[in-house]
Amino acid sequence: MAEEKIICIGCPLGCETTLKIDDQGEVVKITGYKCKEGRQYVLEEYRSPVRVLTATVLTQNSVRPLFPVRTNKPLLKTHLKEAAKVLIGVKVKPPIRVGQIILPNLINTGIDVIATDDLLN
Amino acid sequence: MKFSDIDVAVIGSGPAGMAAAIKAKEEGAEHVLILERQEQLGGLLHQCVHNGFGLFYFGQDLTGPEYAHRFVEKVRDLGIETLLETMVTKVSGDRKITAVNSHEGTIHLQPKSIVLAMGCRERSRGQLSIPGTRPAGIFTAGTAQRLVNVEGFIPGEKVVILGSGDIGMIMARRLSLEGVEVKAVIEILPYVGGLIRNEVQCLHDFDIPLLLEHTVTQIHGEQRVDAVTIAKVDKDKRPVDGTEQNIECDTLLLSVGLIPENELSRMAGVALDPLVGGPVVDERRETNIPGIFAGGNVVHVHDLVDDVSWEAEIAGAWAARLAQKGDHEKKGKIALRAGRNIRSIVPQTISGQNDVTFYIRVKEMEEKVQLRVGDIYHRAFRVVKPSEMIKVNLLQKDLKKLKEKITELNVECERGE
Repeated sequence: MAEEKIICIGCPLGCETTLKIDDQGEVVKITGYKCKEGRQYVLEEYRSPVRVLTATVLTQNSVRPLFPVRTNKPLLKTHLKEAAKVLIGVKVKPPIRVGQIILPNLINTGIDVIATDDLLN
Repeated sequence: MKFSDIDVAVIGSGPAGMAAAIKAKEEGAEHVLILERQEQLGGLLHQCVHNGFGLFYFGQDLTGPEYAHRFVEKVRDLGIETLLETMVTKVSGDRKITAVNSHEGTIHLQPKSIVLAMGCRERSRGQLSIPGTRPAGIFTAGTAQRLVNVEGFIPGEKVVILGSGDIGMIMARRLSLEGVEVKAVIEILPYVGGLIRNEVQCLHDFDIPLLLEHTVTQIHGEQRVDAVTIAKVDKDKRPVDGTEQNIECDTLLLSVGLIPENELSRMAGVALDPLVGGPVVDERRETNIPGIFAGGNVVHVHDLVDDVSWEAEIAGAWAARLAQKGDHEKKGKIALRAGRNIRSIVPQTISGQNDVTFYIRVKEMEEKVQLRVGDIYHRAFRVVKPSEMIKVNLLQKDLKKLKEKITELNVECERGE
């Protein structure tokens, strides 16, 4: 039986919960949470902890050398560093509108990187 | 542009200024003008490329630029006038604004009402008195954020962050993703300064150590930072002898708090609240100077951008009303008093005639408390923390329960559920 500690971020309380995990990776017990929303959060955070990745890519504009982007959906947090590395080499050209896809299917996750601003010149 | 018939002038175009201007226009003010010193609308939002903006205001998880974009489009659609690259140099108590830019030169305005929306700035090394040399490599977290996200420079290779404010933690994550080694976040208090979600998603996700009850006691390096000394602190926040350790690093980021930016307010004779650093306001967010309103981080530093915009909308709405109908409102006569475990309350006074949105900060973390506003409102909290502002909306009908001629209203945290 393994144990994992997860802090709930649902409210300012920040409950530190402990999950008991059996050999198949199934959660058998959760302790330390104080509400049912918290229990649900830590369960999801254990099964598939996901995050939106935000970053910048390069432009060819000397006044505005960087352009902000994000993933259109959260991706597994274990993929964050690899995904960020891919974005380092990306260069964009105007015109770009907010929400436009900059890089489809980021590291084969099916998740797209989209623009979070306009780049008109 | 005609500058002679401005109804509402808004100083600053961040999440407060744009929200105030939009609200003022929607409430019927004809000529609304935004004065902005940068070359674009949006203020600091452009460098906040991370998400977490607008969860409450828009019900969506947006990045800073996306949040700004929505307001910028509305400013344009509503025909709100803007003066960019324009620096306001003076505001006077009779609502005269002096501003300069390179197109018009010096501009004099006499708007019917003014909304102060200048936001806040970061505390810097000079305000911390850390001993040591004066090498390059010491930045505020926000400066580093601008360098990394807007200008395209990575400030260093090995970074220590002093203070666990939200910007510091967000920069810890950003720099980690850019391949920088973030050695530690050092916090003098026994708890994290920023939001819990940032502690989890910016520090824990990247295995960055958070050292609570520690501080930087010495900065080393001649040309460039080469190390800092940190030490544990006692309960009076004094370094404990024998607990010092050196951390090798080339960069020190400071994320040690924000201060409302009120040079212009002072010039106008606006009274400031020393506890929050911004103007004393009533429920309409009017200052002691008639016709000068204020909203957002210039009044007090919020945790969330959503509240910055909401508060500025209150200021914008009332500024529009004054511009159209003149100054006939009953002013705040009831003073809010900070009782047990309350650090600050905004607004500081209310008239009792209108709905009120209170923002309250507690002094210390406490579990299982009742927050009370006089005897007209109470709410149970599982926990209250200085790092998480409490918002309380009181409607006019609640305030009708107040006794006639009351002059003070006590706000306090009472122990127990």
